[in-house]
Amino acid sequence: MALEDPFSILEKYLSAEEYVVVGREFTRVDALDKALGRALFTEDYFIRYLQGNALFIKQVLSPHPHALIKAIHVDEAMGVAGVKAVVTHRDIPGVNQVGYALPDQPLLAERKVRYVGEVVALVAAESWEKAVEASQLVKVDYEPLPYVLDPLEAMSRTDILVHDEAGSNIAFKTRVRKGDVEKGFAEADVVVENEYRTHHQDHVYLETEAALAIPDSEGRITIIGAAQHPHLARDIAARVLGVPAGRVKVVVPYLGGGFGGKDDEGPLTISKAALVAYLTGRPAFIVYSREESIRIHPKREATIIRYKSGARRDGKLTAIDVTIIHDTGAYANRAPFILWRATMHASGPYEVPNARVDGYAVYTNKVYQGSFRGFGNPSIQFAVERQMDQLAEKLGLDPVEFRLMNILRPGSRTLTNQELDHSVGVGEALKKVAERSNWISKRREFDAFNKAEKRFKKGIGVGVAWHGISTSRGVPDWSNAVLKVEKDGSVVVFTGIVEMGQGSPTSSHVQIVSEILGVPPEMVRVVFGTSDAPDTGATHASRGTGIGGIGVEVAAGKIRERLARLAGDLLGVEPDKLVFREGRVYPRDNPERYIRWVDLVREAYARGVELSATGYFFLPKGKFDDTTGQGFAYPAFSYIVVVSEVEVDTETGVVRVTRVWPALASGRIISPLQVEGQVEGAVAQGLGYTLFEKLVFDERGGIVNADLTDYVIPTALDMPVVEKPIYVEDVYKYGALGAKGVGEMALIPLPASIANAVSHALGVNVTRLPLTPEYILQLEGVLRR
Amino acid sequence: MFYKLPSFEYFKARSVGEALELAGKIGDYRFLAGGTDLLVDLKIGRYKPRAILDIGGLRELSYIINDGSRVRIGALTRLEDILRSSVVRERLPLLHEAVYHMASWQIRSVATIGGNIGNASPAADTAPPLLVHDAIVKTRSVRGERAVRLEEFIQGPRRTLLEPGEMIVEFEVPASPGLEEYWAYRKFGRRSAFTLSVVGLAVGAEFLEGSPVFKVSLNSVAPKPVRARSVEEYLKGKTLTDSVIETASKIVQQDISPITDVRATAEYRRHLATVLLKDALKEIAGRLRR
Repeated sequence: MALEDPFSILEKYLSAEEYVVVGREFTRVDALDKALGRALFTEDYFIRYLQGNALFIKQVLSPHPHALIKAIHVDEAMGVAGVKAVVTHRDIPGVNQVGYALPDQPLLAERKVRYVGEVVALVAAESWEKAVEASQLVKVDYEPLPYVLDPLEAMSRTDILVHDEAGSNIAFKTRVRKGDVEKGFAEADVVVENEYRTHHQDHVYLETEAALAIPDSEGRITIIGAAQHPHLARDIAARVLGVPAGRVKVVVPYLGGGFGGKDDEGPLTISKAALVAYLTGRPAFIVYSREESIRIHPKREATIIRYKSGARRDGKLTAIDVTIIHDTGAYANRAPFILWRATMHASGPYEVPNARVDGYAVYTNKVYQGSFRGFGNPSIQFAVERQMDQLAEKLGLDPVEFRLMNILRPGSRTLTNQELDHSVGVGEALKKVAERSNWISKRREFDAFNKAEKRFKKGIGVGVAWHGISTSRGVPDWSNAVLKVEKDGSVVVFTGIVEMGQGSPTSSHVQIVSEILGVPPEMVRVVFGTSDAPDTGATHASRGTGIGGIGVEVAAGKIRERLARLAGDLLGVEPDKLVFREGRVYPRDNPERYIRWVDLVREAYARGVELSATGYFFLPKGKFDDTTGQGFAYPAFSYIVVVSEVEVDTETGVVRVTRVWPALASGRIISPLQVEGQVEGAVAQGLGYTLFEKLVFDERGGIVNADLTDYVIPTALDMPVVEKPIYVEDVYKYGALGAKGVGEMALIPLPASIANAVSHALGVNVTRLPLTPEYILQLEGVLRR
Repeated sequence: MFYKLPSFEYFKARSVGEALELAGKIGDYRFLAGGTDLLVDLKIGRYKPRAILDIGGLRELSYIINDGSRVRIGALTRLEDILRSSVVRERLPLLHEAVYHMASWQIRSVATIGGNIGNASPAADTAPPLLVHDAIVKTRSVRGERAVRLEEFIQGPRRTLLEPGEMIVEFEVPASPGLEEYWAYRKFGRRSAFTLSVVGLAVGAEFLEGSPVFKVSLNSVAPKPVRARSVEEYLKGKTLTDSVIETASKIVQQDISPITDVRATAEYRRHLATVLLKDALKEIAGRLRR
């Protein structure tokens, strides 16, 4: 059985001599269906199959930032013809508790509301018109309470508490204590200190939140819904309903984007639909309007980051002292995890001998903090990389040169004093992209241009980022998949990983199976996003391929071992001398002496060789000390470098990003085309975040621009030229075929690289995002701050 | 989809005559042309009319006629038709340019010029070019026709001189060789396309006895799209030298009264008005020198 040991399978395919499907151009399985509009998303199942049968759910939202709920009157709403249910916290048969990190959040508001937009009740009716009408007739008696919107104010007050039982508005604290910070600063020849501010961003996925719940026999319920982790959605829905998890089935069809938002809101959306279906015995459908989506679901947090760092004249960093404050909003949600990640990445991918980092997640009466591509990392890398540029300037060093003097390499110790033994290609990525982008000559060329030209200024900036792969510390993480070979030789894989545009189950997973079993991709089908598959973890944290693919690789590897033994017997060859390729199995030295894949499968069925396997793999982890923030933080880090070129109109204040050069050190590149797609998508989303996307709150904490008229996302015409990414394939031993992760990567250093480019162009110190024309003119001193 | 439209009676007119007759009878109604503004306004409750009077299908009001000294544009001409019209491109290039930067193909394909003006948004993008051209708004009711200068027609945010029972039927746009050649348009939005104007600006020059007369109009900087009369007055009889342009672009401050909203601060709009006007005048000065 040692042959089927997952570690030996991972090792075997990590060091394969060549790959014939992996790393090559590959047309994803869902390409044509999506191009032709045939692919089905959650709402399509409602419209095609259940409209007229399913109840429509409309949510009743809180108009108050902070208020006690004295009474909820549903009679008038229930009186509307066609209304079947008005559901409040009182109707929840199970537990009204959906907090992921802390038990602080109800599915439906109970006792009090904590932000404008909090969901208080669900109205279910035969038509959406009636549901909307009745939702306006649900009367809630509120007793308004004083509220806090500013995290700094909230931190220092205990007379207004967002969560009374917490006794403080600080939801969670993190810390790192490494070396001797005072000594580090004493050794420093230059010190830079700044306060940085970043803002809320909405995900603006094309498809808003939706779920369709269908009651089944034996008390079961099936929900087709938009989420990023079907098993988590199932568990939360089951808890809300008060039924065993096995009674609830969640199927996540194609998603119109997730970006983390549906990892948080998905299980809640699904629970709401499940709740109505469970209480009424009817199919029930919920979909958020864009305005509801923006008001209700969690956001990329606003942050305040105070950062002090020092370096010696020889270019070595000596110390950092960092305070990170996250505007967590009304509920902790995943804030502790986000803050934790920001804290443990606060040095950037550099060697820092002495560090003090303190993090605070602070409750306020606003929409709450949540998962969003980069997960707390883009804001802290923005601060890190602005600091690095300013230290370089003070030292008279080129920004790239200075970074290379401190960059992590194999054998380096991280901020948490974790030794990195392999898979650290960031330095090489930085060198290569500096070369490819003509960094040194462009810096000079632009300096000369800016001296001669008055109105338009050019800048080039670099951003380097790292991103821990898998869950943090010793938090368990695993991969899994079930793989079956059918009698006709076709292969079916079951995974909990979802398809949200990134293409893991429709490209890389298929490629892995096709590579290992030597069957054409057309014979492989991956059934994704279902809680009927073994729990594969969430499709978040850039893990859909790098970790999600491990289960697929291991399961396929096990089947191959079995079939290799069988083929070896049939052909009279040592199993490890066999090649599986293009539907044939043959000895490496004699391709003509082959057995066809389909015949081998038939033989396996005839001779009692099991052709189903699970690919369970539990990631090895280390120890972490929370009191000092020292120890094993992540199994590995994925790295990226982005160089951005900008042109700034000093009169209008408009920043135009003209060109972006990405370089990834994220292990094996399995699907180059999908990786390019992820990089380009992250550049678009990061560009919007950096330049103009920003939620604006009114004096009561309500969102002013909760629509796409005034929440502005980029168009194709705003996009820079995105150069083909440079790949440094620093394979990681516990990633699928050595892959680490790509999905979030390009967004993480993009704000930093653009901010550095603008600072270079104008000779100013950018400390805030977004870089709106007005902020640029303030930096220039043209407009008042 | 999930903002509920208020309930209303729906009437579809088969002719202008029928539309006017219905309008006279119904009293409390809103016209539906392309609906790109109206539907949103109904959903957010800006208007709660008893009836919707659908005039979108009236082909008789969809036309662009090159009529010697002027171009006549039917009120229900769609923006996309204006964009594709060679008459507009050649004779009203400012309007062509403004429409080019408006909305998206999908919206331009249903939105009408009459709707854009009749909606009387301070940000109406067809207004600055039409104001520069001194366009006349032709209206009709059962009582007869009226012709009103566009500058007077739009009174303020969502307010026009249109009376109950009256509809816009045509824009009569005086054309001139000067405006065909010497014009500059600027639209400043928060992104590069599909964006609302933070400030929009149309500038053109006509010729009176051989010397240029400048006309300037802006949107999104006042309760309604405005002509910059102080600038025009200052520029009378002047040559566009750098210092004249510099001064003119400052004088525009007297013609505008912007507000602060989620799109921009008043201060930034004022700053932009000056920058954009300076740019536009420089562009025209360049053409005049050729």
